[in-house]
Order: sequence, then C-alpha cells, then structure tokens
Amino acid sequence: MKLLEISHLKKSFGDLEVLRDISMDVSEGEVVAILGPSGSGKSTFLRCATMLETMDSGSMQYVGESAVSDKNGKAVYADKAVLHKLKNTFGLVFQNFNLFPHYNVMKNITDAPISVQKRNKSEVEAEAKELLAKVGLEGKEDFYPCQLSGGQQQRVAIARALAMNPKMIFFDEPTSALDPEITAGVLKVLRQLAEEKMTMIIVTHEINFARNVADRIIFMDQGLIVEQGRPEDVIDHPKNERTKAFLQKMA
Amino acid sequence: MKKHMKKVILLLAAISMLAGLLIGCSSQKQSTSERKTFTVGFDAEFPPYGYKDENGEYIGFDLDLAQEVCNRNGWTLKKQPIDWDSKDMELKTGAIDCIWNGFTINGRESGYTWSKAYIDNSQVVIVRSDSKISKLSDLKGKVVVVQADSSALAAFTGGDATDENKALYNSFGDFQQVSDYNSAFMNLEAGSVDAICMDYGVAKFQVEQRGDEFTMLDERVSSEQYGIGFKLGNTELRDQVQDALDEMEEDGTFAKIAKDWGLEDSICLGEKGTDSAYLQDYDESANQSLMTKVSDIIQQLSKGMLASLAIFVLTLIFSLPLGLLICTIRRSRFKLLEIIAKIYISIMRGTPLMLQLLVVFFGPYYVFHVSVSAGFRFYAVIIGFSMNYAAYFAEIFRAGIEGIPRGQYEAADVLGYTRTQTFWKIIFPQMVKHVLPPVTNEIITLVKDTSLAFALAYTEMFTLAKQVAAAQASIMPLFVAGIFYYVFNFVVAFIMGSLEKKLAYYE
Repeated sequence: MKLLEISHLKKSFGDLEVLRDISMDVSEGEVVAILGPSGSGKSTFLRCATMLETMDSGSMQYVGESAVSDKNGKAVYADKAVLHKLKNTFGLVFQNFNLFPHYNVMKNITDAPISVQKRNKSEVEAEAKELLAKVGLEGKEDFYPCQLSGGQQQRVAIARALAMNPKMIFFDEPTSALDPEITAGVLKVLRQLAEEKMTMIIVTHEINFARNVADRIIFMDQGLIVEQGRPEDVIDHPKNERTKAFLQKMA
Repeated sequence: MKKHMKKVILLLAAISMLAGLLIGCSSQKQSTSERKTFTVGFDAEFPPYGYKDENGEYIGFDLDLAQEVCNRNGWTLKKQPIDWDSKDMELKTGAIDCIWNGFTINGRESGYTWSKAYIDNSQVVIVRSDSKISKLSDLKGKVVVVQADSSALAAFTGGDATDENKALYNSFGDFQQVSDYNSAFMNLEAGSVDAICMDYGVAKFQVEQRGDEFTMLDERVSSEQYGIGFKLGNTELRDQVQDALDEMEEDGTFAKIAKDWGLEDSICLGEKGTDSAYLQDYDESANQSLMTKVSDIIQQLSKGMLASLAIFVLTLIFSLPLGLLICTIRRSRFKLLEIIAKIYISIMRGTPLMLQLLVVFFGPYYVFHVSVSAGFRFYAVIIGFSMNYAAYFAEIFRAGIEGIPRGQYEAADVLGYTRTQTFWKIIFPQMVKHVLPPVTNEIITLVKDTSLAFALAYTEMFTLAKQVAAAQASIMPLFVAGIFYYVFNFVVAFIMGSLEKKLAYYE
C-alpha cells in the first residue's frame, strides 16, 4: 500500500525555483533516503511533504486520501479537518530537535498524545517509558532538554514522534547538528526502527548509513530527482554524472 | 538566611545614606548687605495675585508690588513660580526669599516671619448658576472642593476653624482637594463637584473671566488677611520690604497698584489690626522626638499608602491581560487591526500619562456632555493607568513572542496542536520567561508612577505626603514617602527575582 504519493510538486521562493518537478511515492514499510548537495531542494521537499511549506502546484495523497490536488496548475489544499487528520499519519524529526524547553522529557513525549489525540494519560505514560527504553534513555523522564546532550535530545525527539503512533516518519538531517561521535546513538535507533519495518523518509548526508539502512535512495539536485533506485545501484554504480561527482566529494 | 541578611544590610545602608544626604543639606544664607536680587515665590495659577498671562509673562498684583519694592531697594526682582505644596521647602532652602502670593496669615502665624497684612480677603463659595444652591445651608449633602493647603481648607479643617464652619463641613456630602483652581473649575463645570470654596479676590476675578456660568454666594465662610511670608527669623529682609511697602502706602503708590488690579476694596495695609502677626516674636516651635514625629507621619500617610497600593495592584490586574490582548491584535494577520493596535501603542507611549488621565476623567464630559461623578475619579485613575501600561506590556510581550524560534511553532504544528493550544501551551510559557526582566522594570516604574494620580486629585501616597509636608512645614513626610516607595520596590524586585529563579529550571 502506498502511504505517500506526490506528483509534479513545484515550489518557488520569489524568482527562485527550488523544486521544479518532483514525483515520488513511498510504500508501507519502505525506508527512503534522500541524498543531494546543499541547495538541491531536499529540505524544501520535506517541508512541503510535511505541510510546513505550501506547494505552488502538484498533488499529494496520504494513505490514498488527497491532501493537495492540482487544479489547472495550482495546488489546492483540502479543508482543515482533512488536513488535521492526515497530519496525524506522519511524524517529523527536525535537524535541531525543536523539543519544548519548558517541558521535561516525559511531558515532551506525552503532551501531544494526551491533549491532541485525547488518549488516556496513564496509558500514554506507560508507552512513553517503553519508548524511552527503546531509544536508550530510560530513567531520563524528569530531565529537561537543556540537561541532555544533542544526541540525547534527538532521541527524545524521535520518541516524541513515535508516541503519536504515526504510519511514517520524516527525518530532516537528523544527525547534522550533532558531533560525529554522538551520531552513532541516533543512527542506531534509526536502524532499529528500519528493522521493525517503520516507514521512514530520511534526508541525510550519511552515505554509509543510507546504504545500510535504506531500501531506496533518491538523489536530488537543482530541484529535480536525478536518480533513484536500490542503494547498491545508486551509491556503488551511479549512472548520472552529478551523482558521481557528489559521491566522490562525500567519500 | 545569610542571603536575606545581606539584603537587609544593603537596604539599611541605602536608607542611612539617604538620611545623611538630607541632613547634610543645611540651608545657606545670603547676606542682605550685598543683596542684589529678590526672589519671590508664587503660585503661577493664582490670578490676580500672580499668574501667567496670554503672552506667557508672569504678572499680577503681588508681582507689581514686589517690583515696586525692588525698585525702591535697588534689587532685581526674580519671579519664581513654585509648586504650592513645596513652598516651605523652597523657602527653607533659600531657593526663594519670600512667599508673596495672596498668602494667608491666619492659621500660619507661627510658621513664618510675617509682613503686615495688606489685603483682607474672605472665603466665598462659587456654584454653577443653574444649581439650586443659594446659601451656605444649601450645601448640605453636596460635594465641595477646595485647593490643597488653601485658606478655604484651613477655614473648614484647620485647628482654629469656627464651630459654624465645622458644622457646615460635616454637612457636606463630600469634601475634596485639588491642586489648582483650573481643575476645580473643570470639575465644577463637568458636574463632578457642586461648589468651590475659595478666596474672594480670586473668586471675583474668575467669575468675571468665565462669564455668568458661575455664581458667587452672598454668604461668606470666613474672612482672612494676606501678608508676605519670610523664613522664620529673617526679620532683616522682612523689615527692608516692609519699610518700602509702608513708604508706598504713604505716597499712594500702593493704592494705585491695587486699583489697577481691581483690589481696592480689599486692601488693608496701614489699617488697625493688620500687624499682630508682624509684631510676634520668633519662637522655635517645641521639638518633638524623631520617633513620635515619624510614627505620626506614617499614621497620616497610611491612607495614601493604601491608595497607592490599590492603584498598583488594580493596574497590574488589568494591564497585563490587556497588554496581551493588544499584543495579539498588533500581531494580527489583518492589516487594519494591526494598524489600529500600532496607533494605540504609539499614542499611549508618545503622550504623558498625566495627560491621558485627564482625558479619561474629563473626556466623557467634553465629548458626550455626560456629567462625571466624583466617584469616577478612582475608576478614571485605574482606567488611565491600565490603558497606558497595557501599551508598554504589549510591546514587551511582542518582543518576547518574536524571540521564540520558528521551530517551536513547526514542532507544535507537526504534532497537531491547534493555534490556541500552541499559544497557551508552548509559546506563552516561554514568552513569560523571556519578558520577566523588562516587565520587572515596568512594574518598578509603575510603583513610582502611582504618584501621577494626583493629576485627578486622587489622594495617593505622594500627594498626601506633600500635603502633610506643607502642613507641618517639614521635609520629613516626603522622606518617609521616599522610604515607602523604596521598600515597596524592594519587595517587588524581590518577588520578581524569585519568580525569575523559579523559571530558571530550563533554558
């Protein structure tokens, strides 16, 4: 089953055409890694997909239901209630975590399930404890974000996204704000999620990690998908010149 | 505990430094032999004795007399308008040489070294011509206003008020004080008071100037005499001035000047019974102990302290939420709302709070011709203060909100929070932490600004302190008031400090 289908997505900031024509889809259980040089439009694509930015034209469906439809080359968004429901199907983990600094770890994870999804408090808290154990942060319930390292904060952010029980999670360069020696903890959690068949779309610079974890690699450049396919094809035997150049620079 | 001790010691040190400063300010003397200037202190809103004319010049009967006295002594006259409530401080510190301004001797005999009385004035009552008040007994149950520390006030509440006047005073519905006659007449016109009790000469002048809207009652409250007040013991200067005045009386200059100002009916210089205050001996009033003096002052000021506290608390209760509302409107997506909020903030921050208070109080009358009741005074103070402070808080809140990273909104959006939830759960608590230091600044300013309520004749702490200071001819009540504000702010700073510490659990 397709969880996400995007076709002919276009987005400009003023005169600058950031996304020129993007079409892609994600199936349930699939892990997609998006690679590309900075300025290639990866982040803008992710922000359009998560509806933090509005697209100019194109269409988008979540779990088969239309969020954005294309009417004569203009993107038309579905009404508020539909969007609210569809937003509930995915989570997003930010590059710089964006935890709520005034809430402790427990509240960061449980507040949205309780006050947005109206779920039972004790049930959510029990689940949050399991999630904390899963990301390797058991016993940190009462800590505030400022008392944690960047890697720990990012793992809390992942637990926060998971607590909403999303069908898929987007990751926007989840390790690029972290020191190299602490990225390992975060990648380990992602790998584990991949093994559990969590659907994930990850924008990343970690080529090795992408090769090991992703089912599919999308290489973007200048607002277009230049090449996509299995990691062993795209990363080890790239066909496109720009992909080759990028991989050489990263190696 | 140790930390608190340190704060108490700091507080005591600050107070003793202030006290040292005050005691150190001994009065300086200007030797009369080399006197070149003669500085007359007067209330610039007291026609025809001393006031500002259309050209901005200070003129008046008393100033003309003073000019003539200076001419005869070879002095240069300096006309120094003063705040009537601080006249004793002005005189004591030598900032002025005398108070010459329709200055009533009766009741103040022992407070100054006096010239002979030169004007006989009576206290009369002015009412609106359309009112049903025609004699003093009609004032029963009515609202009567007098100028603060005026002869009219003394005639009703002074130590030697007559029994008839005391009975009359008790029959009033309410008795109020204002700082100048202009606001007394504005109050009378607006209907918030029923009658003004004031000096005959001033009353005659005002009624003539303002047309037949106002009427003077035939019955009078009291009669009194004017003299020139010098600093206690300064008989040398007094005699020089008195000699010149006597000369002027003999050669007819005095009568001529009186005629110029339409006061020929009131003059009494050279008449019998005008020199009793002039002849009295200089007598240092018995010194009370400092402690009884201070506790006496605190007792007198306590009502004002409560009034200031009430203004402070109510202003905070209303202006903080109002500020948040204005901040929200200012950040509105609708351009028109944003502009309205911008204009509001710009006016509130760009004009004096005192003026805003006057507009709130008198506005309803001048715009809608609704008469304002005396009870509206307090509400006007609270409304004016709240509206003004809300503008400042709105801008502080806006800066606080805009300082919150965009990512917080995005995280909340992705998690499905509604706009309202995002604001109250995520943005507002973080904003509060950001704005605490500037809000503390504003609150401390508010404590001191409460004294501006005097503009509407609302008797808060500082107005009362000035009145008591004038009545006691002492600077002590103002000093006590200063300590009150300092301690008040010390407590405010302490509370806000602990609040900041409480919120320091996160960054």
